[in-house]
Amino acid sequence: MNRFIFKMAWRETRGAWRHFLYFFACIAIGVGALVGVSLFGAHMERAVTKEARGLLGGDLEIRLTRPLSLAGQAVLSSLGARDIVFTHVSELVAMASRSTPGSFMTQGTQIIELKAVESAYPLYGTIRLDSTQALDALLHPDERRCGGRSCFGAVVQESLLIRMGLSIGERLKIGQAMFLITGVVRTEPDRMANAFTLGPRVMIAQEGLLAAELVKPGSRVRERYLVKTPPTMPLEPLLSELRDRLEADSARVTSYRTAQSQLKQFLEQLSRYLGLIGLTALFIGGLGVGTSIHAFLRDKLRTIATLKAVGADSVTVVSTYVVQAIFLGSIGSLAGILLGIALERGLPPLAAALFASDILDQLGVSSELSQSSIWPLLKGALLGLLSTLLFTLWPLLKIRDIHPGAIFRRDAEQATVGLETAALRWWARWGLTDGWNVGTAGVIIFGLCALSVWQAGSWSIGLLFIGATSLAITVLFVCAQAFVRGLALMPLPRVLSLRYALGNVVRPGSQATGIMVAIGIGVMVIVTVSLVEQALLSQIQDNRPADAPTFFFIDIQPDQAQGFVSLIDRQAEGAHPELTPLVRSRLHAINGKVIKFDEAGEKDEKRTEGNEGRGKQWYFTREYVLTFLDRLPKDNTITKGEWWKPGQVFSTPQVSVEEDAAMHLGLTIGSHVEFDIQGATISAEVSSIRKVEWGNFSTNFYMILSPGSIAAAPFTYVGTVRVSAAKEVPLQQAVVASFPNISAIHIGDVLDGFARVLDRLSLAIRAVALFCVMAGGLVMAAALAATRYRRLYESVILKALGATRSLIARAFAMEYVLLGAVAGLIGLSLGSILAWALVRYVFDLPWSIHPQVLGIGLFLTILLTLIVGFASTYRILGQRPLAVLRHE
Amino acid sequence: MNRPPCSPTSASNAALVPDKQRVAIVGPSGSGKSTLLGLIAGLDRPTSGSITLDGVEISTMRESALARYRRDHIGYIFQSFHLIPTLTALENVLVPLELAGMSTAQDRATELLNTVGLGERLHHYPVQLSGGEQQRVAVARAFACHPPILLADEPTGNLDSATGQHVMQLLQSLHRDYGTTLVLVTHDHTIASSMERVISLRDGRIESDRLTDPDPRVAEPPL
Repeated sequence: MNRFIFKMAWRETRGAWRHFLYFFACIAIGVGALVGVSLFGAHMERAVTKEARGLLGGDLEIRLTRPLSLAGQAVLSSLGARDIVFTHVSELVAMASRSTPGSFMTQGTQIIELKAVESAYPLYGTIRLDSTQALDALLHPDERRCGGRSCFGAVVQESLLIRMGLSIGERLKIGQAMFLITGVVRTEPDRMANAFTLGPRVMIAQEGLLAAELVKPGSRVRERYLVKTPPTMPLEPLLSELRDRLEADSARVTSYRTAQSQLKQFLEQLSRYLGLIGLTALFIGGLGVGTSIHAFLRDKLRTIATLKAVGADSVTVVSTYVVQAIFLGSIGSLAGILLGIALERGLPPLAAALFASDILDQLGVSSELSQSSIWPLLKGALLGLLSTLLFTLWPLLKIRDIHPGAIFRRDAEQATVGLETAALRWWARWGLTDGWNVGTAGVIIFGLCALSVWQAGSWSIGLLFIGATSLAITVLFVCAQAFVRGLALMPLPRVLSLRYALGNVVRPGSQATGIMVAIGIGVMVIVTVSLVEQALLSQIQDNRPADAPTFFFIDIQPDQAQGFVSLIDRQAEGAHPELTPLVRSRLHAINGKVIKFDEAGEKDEKRTEGNEGRGKQWYFTREYVLTFLDRLPKDNTITKGEWWKPGQVFSTPQVSVEEDAAMHLGLTIGSHVEFDIQGATISAEVSSIRKVEWGNFSTNFYMILSPGSIAAAPFTYVGTVRVSAAKEVPLQQAVVASFPNISAIHIGDVLDGFARVLDRLSLAIRAVALFCVMAGGLVMAAALAATRYRRLYESVILKALGATRSLIARAFAMEYVLLGAVAGLIGLSLGSILAWALVRYVFDLPWSIHPQVLGIGLFLTILLTLIVGFASTYRILGQRPLAVLRHE
Repeated sequence: MNRPPCSPTSASNAALVPDKQRVAIVGPSGSGKSTLLGLIAGLDRPTSGSITLDGVEISTMRESALARYRRDHIGYIFQSFHLIPTLTALENVLVPLELAGMSTAQDRATELLNTVGLGERLHHYPVQLSGGEQQRVAVARAFACHPPILLADEPTGNLDSATGQHVMQLLQSLHRDYGTTLVLVTHDHTIASSMERVISLRDGRIESDRLTDPDPRVAEPPL
């Protein structure tokens, strides 16, 4: 008996493989998308794990926002006795300028991301240079190359050379020092993604940084000490020891494990969310699988009745076709795996674009399949098989209703598998009065939920996904159904081809609803992604306030403030530079309770960060940039308490707190906050709570102190300047020439960079979402194939009655255009609603309609249905009537 | 399935077919011949009354039990053959044997097809066979499990007379060699008169039931 099932399943497949092309393709597309994404994720994760120390730069990293105190340096020096090696890296934003005037096309000054290192750098990983010489040698060039004077070398990113029109061997002025460009840097182990950069990288030696005189009190600098421990030394005790001993420096100490887990988390989330889109493609493909099986069974009615007549019971027959479905699903999954591997090979360039670096190369990510690839492949195959089963079980159960007596009926083909009887209640019509059916429905629903939860890796996201998907399918189904019903009620058009086209859509047993749902979902996904991207981009590019500044000048020293303002006034009249003092600080205590930065809190922070963006802990441990102001800044409104009067003097400094921060920190009017400013503690009393319009492209603050309260602390000014486009370059060059330590950040460039990242991210999502649309196209092809015979028969009868080939082609075209237009319109509407909800409530941005996105979407959808439709039915057009009718 | 409220075969009719008899059922179109045969085979259920085969009441059997009963006890030959188009001749005959789990199914099926004269066409698909050949495959399939009862629904109805005669000779010889009870529905009076007994139906009722003299012309097949 069991052998019979397998043999019979094989014989049925062998004879009818053409029937199953769409079946394969539907499964393969979905599995391909899933496998591609998860293989990519697995390979990235493997590489990240392997390179974890290199990514952090050491076993431990100590990070500060100001130079390490003498006491702190003593702590680090004492580590040498335990064979612990460390190296010092400083990172800051600075301005570079040409030593000689460049050509008209190139820039004279350029904002750069400066990195000063010592000889020991890098402790782990490799730095890739376009030179055979070692980094240290490049940073300390021979004096002869500098004309006999002692000089410093700089290794730069290629983009700097291009932008400034420089080449290796030329000189660059940074701060007060001159640097000889000695090489080009490709990748650094401890610089993962340079998607968000203010400028190209320039690497110099620590001595060079000192000579440049860029780091002044209050300067924006990131000091990193990378620590390498002997292999046998346990990390955790050292980690806590350093945290304790460097507490006075407000140093953040992290181990490569925690740093790595954050990156992993990001990659994991990226591949999970992309995977969910892949799962959507698989589910859409599932609809195609269901359609194929449905059509197959309709063809098999006589065979099934015959099998039953010669003594096969329902269990045997159902099992036969289930085995067949599993067999076909396996082949489809296998094809999907191959497709996925191919996709994954295609993803690296996309990833490189996404991270704007040769990150994969840097990490040593290879597309070679290895042990770690097995799991994604297995998972893909399993998901493919499971969804095959889930989408075929329901149609296959109908086999039980096929009676062997059906063999006697001439009209066996018309006794369709899903017998509908209008008099029955809906649950009876859906077969829910039968225990097996109910059980199967339960298994299918449970299975779909399980698949989603598995792929999402979280109960809530998985169930949310399946809920949203079911809701979307239901809405699409209802809309499509309503449209078909509405069409049926309309008077028939006079034009024959149009009438025939409409007839094909509204007739009983038409696959129109299924096609519209499948295409509609794909359209919806892609339109949602595009619309959200458009909304974000237009927020960045078009909705910039008219009075948004052109430049942020940072690190203006107090003694430069006067000179800076008069320089701006000379260079650009009416630019109205606004200077705001800045002080970097951390919270020391709230209402007398000292804030501890501990590991538990760190973990807690990560957890909450994942859920709601900024966890409570983030507000406690982050660095606060403080300012002291006389007047309330624009776009700020007091919600509680009162702003101080100009010139008012307080015995205790007053602080005005932003409302979200106040809520998370538990601050109210009268609370006491202690700030740690570069080692000194300052206490302030909360006197007001503010609401801030963060999106105004201006300097905004969580905490504003009353004037005079921190005048003694090392502060710098940030200047905002608004100038016309023509004056941008001369102004920047003039400032850099007079004040080499001041960096000019061009807001437009920063926002353009952000837009580029957004565009790449959206490209990656759309690439995966394209699989949904492809799956939708396949479902349509499968559905048309299911009605192929009927179409063939009807078209030859029409021909026999005198219809021309072009009339039939026109009728088909109108039908496909109609299907595409309706599916497109429904998909676009749902996509717009979804995008509106996301933009309005998740991103909290204003919503606007983008007719060009919708128009292109509709056009492409119609084009898709036309192409798919004709590709699946063009052969019908050429059939000779007599040959077909004789066989009937 | 929706059944009409009243089946054409009435409960007041009783027919007892003894073991190893050859019976023809005749009657005009719509008299209920095929329905009766279908009911005997358990392909349909009676709306009232009962059907007993070999002392077993089959009208109350569950679907799966009925399927097994058909497999083991009944061979059925259809007017339009009903071979499974995706299977070869050999595989079509293999179906009931494999369903019964016979270990020597392959040999048995080959032997059967040799018996019906199709030893050369084992691996042909139904579309590649003539009508007569298809019906001979159907006969081999129906006879595969040595069923004690062979039912044939106008087995020659779709065949020309020479081919039809050949198929009838085949059925007669199988009956003679294995002692199978043979019940066949036919319009053909020559075939009917070659049976031992002729039951004539009209409007779902038995009109007449008589014994005949066997016709020596068809009783001796040249196999």
